[in-house]
Amino acid sequence: MTISIWRYSHLALAVSSFLFITLASVTGIILSFKPITEKTQSYRSKDFDKLTVAEVISQLKKSYIDIGEVTIYSNQFVAVNGTDLHDQSGNFYVDPATGKSLGKVGKENAFFQWVTTLHRSLFLHETGRIFIGLTAFFLFLIATSGTILIIQRQRSFKKFFGKIVKDGFAQYYHVVLGRLMLIPIIIISISGTFLSLQRIGIIKEQKITHKVDFDALKTVPKRMVSDFKVFKNIPLSQIQSIEFPFSEDVEDYFTLKLNDQEITVNQITGEILTTQPYSNATLLNNLSLDLHTGRASAVWAIMLAIASANILFFIYSGFVIWWKRSSGRIKNKYQSDQAAFIILVGSENGTTFRFARAIHEQLLKNGKTSYIAELNDYKIFPKAKQLLVFTSTYGQGESPANAKKFISLLEKNPQNHSVDFAVVAFGAHAYPDFCKFGYEVNNLIAHQAWAKPLLEIHTVNDRSPEDFNRWATLWAQHSGLQLNSISKLLEAKPIKKQQFEVVGKTVSTHIETSFIIRLKVKGRKRFTSGDLLAIYPANDHRERQYSIGKIGKDIQLSVKLHGGGIGSGFLYNMEIGQVLKAVIIRNEHFHFPEKVKTVIMVSNGTGIAPFLGMLNQYGEGRNIHFYCGFKDSASFAIYENALQTDLPKLTKLNIAYSRAGEKQYVKDLLAKDATFICEALNDGGVLMLCGSLAMQNDVIDWLENACQQFSKQSISFYQSRGQVLMDCY
Amino acid sequence: MNSFFKICLALTLVVSIPAISIAQKTTKYKCMVQMTNYVGEGAYIAVSLIDAKGAYEKTLYVMGSDKKWYPDLKEWHKAYKKKPTNISAVTGASVTGGDRSVTVLDIETDKINKGYKLRFETAVEDNKYYQKDIEIPLTTEGLAAKTEGTGYIRYVRLSAN
Repeated sequence: MTISIWRYSHLALAVSSFLFITLASVTGIILSFKPITEKTQSYRSKDFDKLTVAEVISQLKKSYIDIGEVTIYSNQFVAVNGTDLHDQSGNFYVDPATGKSLGKVGKENAFFQWVTTLHRSLFLHETGRIFIGLTAFFLFLIATSGTILIIQRQRSFKKFFGKIVKDGFAQYYHVVLGRLMLIPIIIISISGTFLSLQRIGIIKEQKITHKVDFDALKTVPKRMVSDFKVFKNIPLSQIQSIEFPFSEDVEDYFTLKLNDQEITVNQITGEILTTQPYSNATLLNNLSLDLHTGRASAVWAIMLAIASANILFFIYSGFVIWWKRSSGRIKNKYQSDQAAFIILVGSENGTTFRFARAIHEQLLKNGKTSYIAELNDYKIFPKAKQLLVFTSTYGQGESPANAKKFISLLEKNPQNHSVDFAVVAFGAHAYPDFCKFGYEVNNLIAHQAWAKPLLEIHTVNDRSPEDFNRWATLWAQHSGLQLNSISKLLEAKPIKKQQFEVVGKTVSTHIETSFIIRLKVKGRKRFTSGDLLAIYPANDHRERQYSIGKIGKDIQLSVKLHGGGIGSGFLYNMEIGQVLKAVIIRNEHFHFPEKVKTVIMVSNGTGIAPFLGMLNQYGEGRNIHFYCGFKDSASFAIYENALQTDLPKLTKLNIAYSRAGEKQYVKDLLAKDATFICEALNDGGVLMLCGSLAMQNDVIDWLENACQQFSKQSISFYQSRGQVLMDCY
Repeated sequence: MNSFFKICLALTLVVSIPAISIAQKTTKYKCMVQMTNYVGEGAYIAVSLIDAKGAYEKTLYVMGSDKKWYPDLKEWHKAYKKKPTNISAVTGASVTGGDRSVTVLDIETDKINKGYKLRFETAVEDNKYYQKDIEIPLTTEGLAAKTEGTGYIRYVRLSAN
């Protein structure tokens, strides 16, 4: 529930102010170049930090007949307003160490001036300032609500900078960059708000007046300016400006604006006449100006530019996320009290809805009355025959936002007749709590008196249409329905296929035929070991995926020929020189961890394919321990040749034969090296798993135990840190 | 014949004005403008030489560099638009409330004690406009004294440089 509140306010704030924020960011990016360009002209003296006011004034007196004021800009350039020895008056940059003029102070660039006005007030004077001030404040609120959303997403404040699971470009970078840019953006928005408040006059500006007692002014003892104690004690770096006495009359005095106060100094005796400290408002105003404009530091100015550019990206990616989410809105032909099929969806960002809607449409096409709604809309469905639940899991095993109320609603609203139910849980193996909420929902419904299970719970990994199709087919059989082209409904966009030429093929002589096939990419495409190659053997929606090993520039697949397997049969019949159409699918979560020293590779059967490629690409200079399982030495033989060249790169190769010799599985090999494996994980090593699901389950079960015993950590601890990578089928 | 003579005379005058003004001897006066503690944006100030009839003769200084705000200095801007001159050499920054600004004015020496005046005209964004914030008679005394302002300017002091 709370997630929704923060999300809605995050969205509402963004929607209501994005036009102004866009404008302010674009102009902000341009303006950040002002301090950068100014910094490149170097009028800053090397000795700036060492000089005192007394030294500077006595140097300046040599080069200027008359001085009105000395100003020290935030970028530490020193400027004199006065008349020099050649009777030239005006504003000059000077070297404070020598008093020499470095050049006239230029006019403010008209373009920057124009952009500044646009940035501050949209050319609308007071009204514009109020708008911009509000925009800055909105930006602050957006950043704050965004922070809370990240904390909720990461489940705790401590994991704020923990790993984020990648689900979609816009969403991933919205969160990743959001964390990084949080502090600069909050600084920009607070300082901007403050500056606007002061400009509008809500925060009163401090006006300093010095009340000098003219009757008490002394004219003795007369001292040289360079001997004034105050001037000797104040370093130049503490000064904002020095106003010189207008005439030599004792009633005219020096006014020094320091960083924290203003003082006036008798021009004859050098004693301090009055002191006026700055109010907090003035100090905050100066700080805000420094932070908001980057005038004091070019590095910070660059940071501001980056942050502003990021705001633009957030606006873009935020809208992409919103659009994706709202595209999952529901339209119903039948009301909830008329429908026989009730489809309830728990979805955090709308993807699950795509699957649910595919089923919904199939039902309608079959002439059935189907009703689709969010899990939160659960109530009594008087005519329901089937209840289908599609739900994803949010964060670490939580319910998605639109399913928060489901559990309590379920208890309160028992159906008045028996209803068949089925649950499909959506999730990703990359999350430690895979489909946890789906399981929870399934259990809860199963405990209801009215509920009759139609099918076991099914899981769908990574929005896989394959997984979903498997369920849909089964479900259709059980419900006596005709299904057609579900996968077409699921396809977000048509896939662009690429051509691949077969350049090599090695077939094993073993009874159970497996073979290695090498393909050359026609055209350009970046890929790496661990990515997947999807082929379309019958040139229809049916797709088969194979794990890629990258050898040189080619793709190497290892395939086991199944009797009647359409994918393997298709590849088996390809001859060298023939061309096939396929798609390379990026499979980021199973890429080789390039920064890691110790990598443990575990495979069985054809699962060896990506590892062969990884060894070839990255094998050098690492500790790679390879555990692979085969039926017998004959089925390994085919890979033995392929492995030959890269064999020296391996620290250790362990082979298990399940039907020969000791008859052991990979898991048994791992168990022998349990201490080594747990230690490696503890030291940041990575374990990669590729092969059959049965092997995966075996290994994970064993690993869970081993880790618990060794380091009191659950395997999900390592999984969430990307140290256990799996790609099984 | 009479009118032809007049035109000729007028032409000679027009042609010779620039020549005369180049030859003009000027004196530099240091000028300090001290602002009151008003609240608002930086004030735009035009310092003009006003002849005995009250007409604008010359712009001596403009504090405020963005031309966009010049129309706010109504009367000065009217005169300036009629007879635009190059003022880029006598343009400086605007002055905010409580601040002071010290500039140098070039005043033709033979204009002094001839009934001329210095006018300080002020305007602040979204705020009042003062046509005669200060007027200082261009006399030897006037150029040495401190003159109180009536608008955003607290006082102006002048001294020969």
